[in-house]
Amino acid sequence: MFLHDAVIHIFLAISILLASPGWSQAEPVIQDYQTELIERARQTRLADKREWQLLLHYGVDLFGRAASEEDDEGFFLSPRGKFDPQAELDATIAQFFVADLVGRSKQPAQCAFIARYHWLKERLQFDPHRLAPLECGRFDRWRAEMNPQGVSLIFPAAFLNNPASMFGHTFLRIDQRGQTEQTRLLAYTIDYAADVPDGAGIEYAYKGIFGAYKGFFSTPPYYLKVQAYRDIENRDMWEYQLNLTPDQIDRLLMHAWEMGNAYFDYFFFKENCSYHILSLLEYANPSLHLRDRFSLWTIPADTVRAIIDSPGLVGDATYRPSRSTIIKRKRALLTDEERSLSIGLMRAPDIAKESLFASLPLLRRAFVLDVASDYLRYKGESDDPEVTVYKERNRRVLTERSKLLIPSAEINIRPFTKQPDVGHRTTRVALGGGWRNDDTFEEASFRAVYHHLLDPEPGYTPDAQLEAFAVTVRRYNQADRVRVERATLINILSLSPIDDLFRAPSWRVNVGMDTLRRRGCQLCDNVVVDGGVGAAMESHVLNREVYFAFAEAEANYSKAYEERHRVGGGATVGMLADVTDRWKLMLSWSYRRYPFGDKSDDIRWYAGSRLTLAQNWAVRMDYNHRDRDNDVVVSIQAFF
Amino acid sequence: MSKKVLLLAVAVLFGSQAGLAMAANPDTGPGCGLGKVMWQNYPNAKTKGSQILMATTNGSFGSQTFGMSTGTLGCTDDGRIWAEQKATMFAELNADALAQEMAQGRGEHLASMATLLGVAQPQHAAFFAMAQERYAALSSAGELSPAAMVQALNEGISADSSLVKVALN
Repeated sequence: MFLHDAVIHIFLAISILLASPGWSQAEPVIQDYQTELIERARQTRLADKREWQLLLHYGVDLFGRAASEEDDEGFFLSPRGKFDPQAELDATIAQFFVADLVGRSKQPAQCAFIARYHWLKERLQFDPHRLAPLECGRFDRWRAEMNPQGVSLIFPAAFLNNPASMFGHTFLRIDQRGQTEQTRLLAYTIDYAADVPDGAGIEYAYKGIFGAYKGFFSTPPYYLKVQAYRDIENRDMWEYQLNLTPDQIDRLLMHAWEMGNAYFDYFFFKENCSYHILSLLEYANPSLHLRDRFSLWTIPADTVRAIIDSPGLVGDATYRPSRSTIIKRKRALLTDEERSLSIGLMRAPDIAKESLFASLPLLRRAFVLDVASDYLRYKGESDDPEVTVYKERNRRVLTERSKLLIPSAEINIRPFTKQPDVGHRTTRVALGGGWRNDDTFEEASFRAVYHHLLDPEPGYTPDAQLEAFAVTVRRYNQADRVRVERATLINILSLSPIDDLFRAPSWRVNVGMDTLRRRGCQLCDNVVVDGGVGAAMESHVLNREVYFAFAEAEANYSKAYEERHRVGGGATVGMLADVTDRWKLMLSWSYRRYPFGDKSDDIRWYAGSRLTLAQNWAVRMDYNHRDRDNDVVVSIQAFF
Repeated sequence: MSKKVLLLAVAVLFGSQAGLAMAANPDTGPGCGLGKVMWQNYPNAKTKGSQILMATTNGSFGSQTFGMSTGTLGCTDDGRIWAEQKATMFAELNADALAQEMAQGRGEHLASMATLLGVAQPQHAAFFAMAQERYAALSSAGELSPAAMVQALNEGISADSSLVKVALN
């Protein structure tokens, strides 16, 4: 490292020595032209132009001043640049006249900020004799390596088991000249993500939310991303081809190159991966206003819909199934006999040498071996302590497979859920009415994000629920009271149906408050923290049904309890049923016993029903029963 | 191919775009953060896959990367050397997928490998068949390292005139 720095210093010293005589002679001429350019830029108010605002990521801060979202000082050439677009523009033009190395990337300004340079050059018609263009070899090599032909937006679906991935993710792929469906793995991507130190634990959550991590752009090859999402996390991916002109692609790449000079403070909800990908697309085509829709949070799936809603921006969508989807779909194509053979192969690959297996037709033998190998690879990349055993079995299965000397048949794998752009938006409002015991009420609800198990399912990861920041206000007519009926800080529920191959646990966590009727207190606030671990299974009697059971722990706080609290545990069993494409039912039954605090127990019933009216509209009916407390609500819900 | 060479090769790929200055410090260049690639998406770093990727990324930004900044390894304008390194690196980073697809005689990793080795599109089917044949031999010899796979594929290409490499530029 020290040696390396020394090399740079020597290099710098040499370049300064070589450069200085020339610069000093040309000084007056340069000064004149520099002043002229700055003057012309001021006259034409270039600093106010959308392109300049986008290039420097200016927005408006809490006090209504211009302020760049960029947080790295090295990104600005003026010390006042973060808050002063004009000062930054003046300083940028001045810096183009010298070859000093600037920014984190230590290049001359013309190269380090190549998008600014090209935009200003075009706007101000730089005279090459008075402002000599510099060679930017590093950029040229980088661009040549990218070999750009097009751009695709990639969306790996949400993944509840990783907190960073709960809302999904987006990044761009720079499609290469001559790339085919088969070789798109080799393309590079442009990705923005927080730099989280290894071993970050619980602090990850608040640091990620409040901007304590730095976010960086990077360009890993697509095959690494596919490996991470499809093979390791088992997430389906969607690839949307974007219709950008060659000119726009160049602008995008130049700006992406500049962004390597900088970091943003990473905010999980707003200035996250998807937000900055939208910024890049806006600079590529400044007539796009993609970020305007997002004020408080930027949910990746919503950005996909925003991009799709821009007329003409999106071409074809391609589906890339996760490994577990591939296994499930392929397995459905096996006969019962083949199925038991494939499971046998997963346990003892040598049965491929037995006569029962050999009696299958050649193509079917290949297919059964392929299913076994897919599953063994899935296990070989899991957290299972026996990964080496699975890898060895996979090697033996593949050896048998290679001896068949025929290529695997091409199989079209269909997704289990529709593409994300047909999904509902993530913020939900609802108006409803109903009765509770002897009273009637009207209520209004707001939920910031994201998806409930009873929300319309197209486009969302099946059996996964994540709700945050929700509140319901109710007016009781007879009691003549208006009160906050329910609130949710966070409510996550992940069901993973178990079968003979996949055995992940299901789990749920909930933090919020609801309203309790208990003893003398008719309507009492009740704070709830609960969570559980369980299992789920699915059937296909009507359409698709999922059954679940949880063992749970719960803590309550309310003045309705003796000692104001109670702590206990219990169990829940229930089912979800897709009756038709639009109609979904959920039933559950819970028992709780609270040995601590207010010693008591509870039996609860829940029944919910949803009818989808349109992509962003649904009708819900909810029935809750607890002791002698009965509550029925019918509501209409809109997603926006 | 030793692990160290692999790390250097990765450093070349991830670092080459920014060249000289950025390699020693992942925060110093366009397209950087490459070393940190995105494995911070793995709070659960126990999985084998993410370990491999961390090794190939985080590890690439230590003193080891000095090799590329002095131009000793690949960070040159010689496209042929670079293209061959890309093929080896691809095999190292996708070893499991490549092995599976060789045995199955088709797949996008295998097609990408063919492209990196300079086999033109119309010859891919023949390349796949050759790869499948070679897989059985490699496997029974217990030689399934990425380097051995690349070598076997290269030998297969040399042995079959129909698969003649197109000029790498």
